[in-house]
Amino acid sequence: MASGGGYGDASQKVDYVFKVVLIGDSAVGKSQILSRFARNEFTLDSKATIGVEFQTRTMVIQHKTVKAQIWDTAGQERYRAVTSAYYRGAVGAMLVYDITKRQTFDHIPRWLEELRGHADKNIVIILIGNKSDLEDQRAVPTEDAKEFAQQEGLFFLETSALQATNVEEAFLTVLTEIFNIVNKKTLVAGGEDEQANGGGNTASLTGKKIVVPGPGQVIPEKRVCCSS
Amino acid sequence: RVRKWRKMIGVGGRDWKHYVRRKPDVVKRRIRKGIPDCLRGVVWQLISGSRDLLLLNPGVYEQLVVYETSASELDIIRDISRTFPSHVFFQQRHGPGQRSLYNVLKAYSVFDRDVGYVQGMGFVAGLLLLYMSEEDAFWLLVALLKGAVHPPLEGLYLVGLPLVKQFLFQLDCIVKEQLPKLGEHFSTEMINPSMYASQWFITVFSSSFPFQLSLRIWDVFLFEGPEIVFQIGIAVLKHCHDDLVKLPFERLMHALRNFPEDAMNPDVLLPLAFSIKVSKCLQESKDKYEKKKLK
Repeated sequence: MASGGGYGDASQKVDYVFKVVLIGDSAVGKSQILSRFARNEFTLDSKATIGVEFQTRTMVIQHKTVKAQIWDTAGQERYRAVTSAYYRGAVGAMLVYDITKRQTFDHIPRWLEELRGHADKNIVIILIGNKSDLEDQRAVPTEDAKEFAQQEGLFFLETSALQATNVEEAFLTVLTEIFNIVNKKTLVAGGEDEQANGGGNTASLTGKKIVVPGPGQVIPEKRVCCSS
Repeated sequence: RVRKWRKMIGVGGRDWKHYVRRKPDVVKRRIRKGIPDCLRGVVWQLISGSRDLLLLNPGVYEQLVVYETSASELDIIRDISRTFPSHVFFQQRHGPGQRSLYNVLKAYSVFDRDVGYVQGMGFVAGLLLLYMSEEDAFWLLVALLKGAVHPPLEGLYLVGLPLVKQFLFQLDCIVKEQLPKLGEHFSTEMINPSMYASQWFITVFSSSFPFQLSLRIWDVFLFEGPEIVFQIGIAVLKHCHDDLVKLPFERLMHALRNFPEDAMNPDVLLPLAFSIKVSKCLQESKDKYEKKKLK
């Protein structure tokens, strides 16, 4: 199985780089989930995200080193004009709502549509109900979300970035699934045009094939290692 | 210095326009050195043209705050505590800072329903509120977005964020022209300006740069217009150029959000910014952008 990697700037050899996006309504806790995962931090006075933010973390999955490059996007609808470009090339998506705000769950189908319109068809998606520490203010029953996730073929977990509950598991679920898909299918090296926001060498799932832009897994070595 | 400034402004700002007309270069030079903090609020209102708007529209702000309702109210409330969360003025829940911020943003969202409320406006309004009353801050926001003395900036917040897109395109052109080595490195590493400069434009540096630096940038921004945003952007990149060109993608992303302290020193960064000429490149890239849009 998998084990967590360090939080720091790991200088080990990386076998895979996966691009993941965090999306969902404003103030559901996307940035907090990310900082919990990438740096094991929770910020009490967090700022609204303007545009996009970026973090990485390296983990070991089935003895391979996997680096997640995670893009955190502003939640407000108007920002989709600049954030939807970041869906391109993403192999995983964390679709987040707030269990205490029904509306943020009701908007999930719209986010899914958005994702399916702009991202790769085979993108691995997990639905995340965040703020599970606020049980007394719950407005979205776990069962509702579970059922929805099942219908739509999404993974599902409830998390608390504050208490660090299930955050690690949520990312691992997505990364492991991507890892399995990548390993199962043929790896084809190709020069896909990743000009817009690809952010370097992320594996992307196109059609039935896995296309790793550039010369496949060779790149992360050159890219990640070295440098003091 | 403050005395010189007071003389320039006159009682209630009555000498200001006259002074600016007579000695524009003196005014420009003094503003570039930084407006004295105790006069900043007044001067900002004079140079932005917001003072005139306020005088022309008595009672309008109160009307917007008290009697109108906005579709954005919940969106605004949700972000209030996430705007300058560590600043003492905005820290207290439902305190005077948060209340004023809410009122200004709500009033604006009613005043201009096409813009409404967009995340990022709070940082701009918040910065203004540290130097002036709610009503004054509201009119300054109007002056900026509707274009009282410079071209309107409402496109930063309208649906589709058209001006953000245009500015990002222009910045890309300027980087490539003025810092070709870095521009090439960015291309190789697949870094584009939307990854690091969206906040620069959307909040005019008020959300991501140290406070003292933002203030000095705003002094110039309000008087000279948005060109300074590009000059500052290029200046920062130029200052850190030799480090940036060596970094791979991920470390670049980090470096572009965490500039070293010496780069964030207003007395280093501003003179460097003034030495950078961008107007020709701005015009050319704007033409290029418009042509591209038509296609």
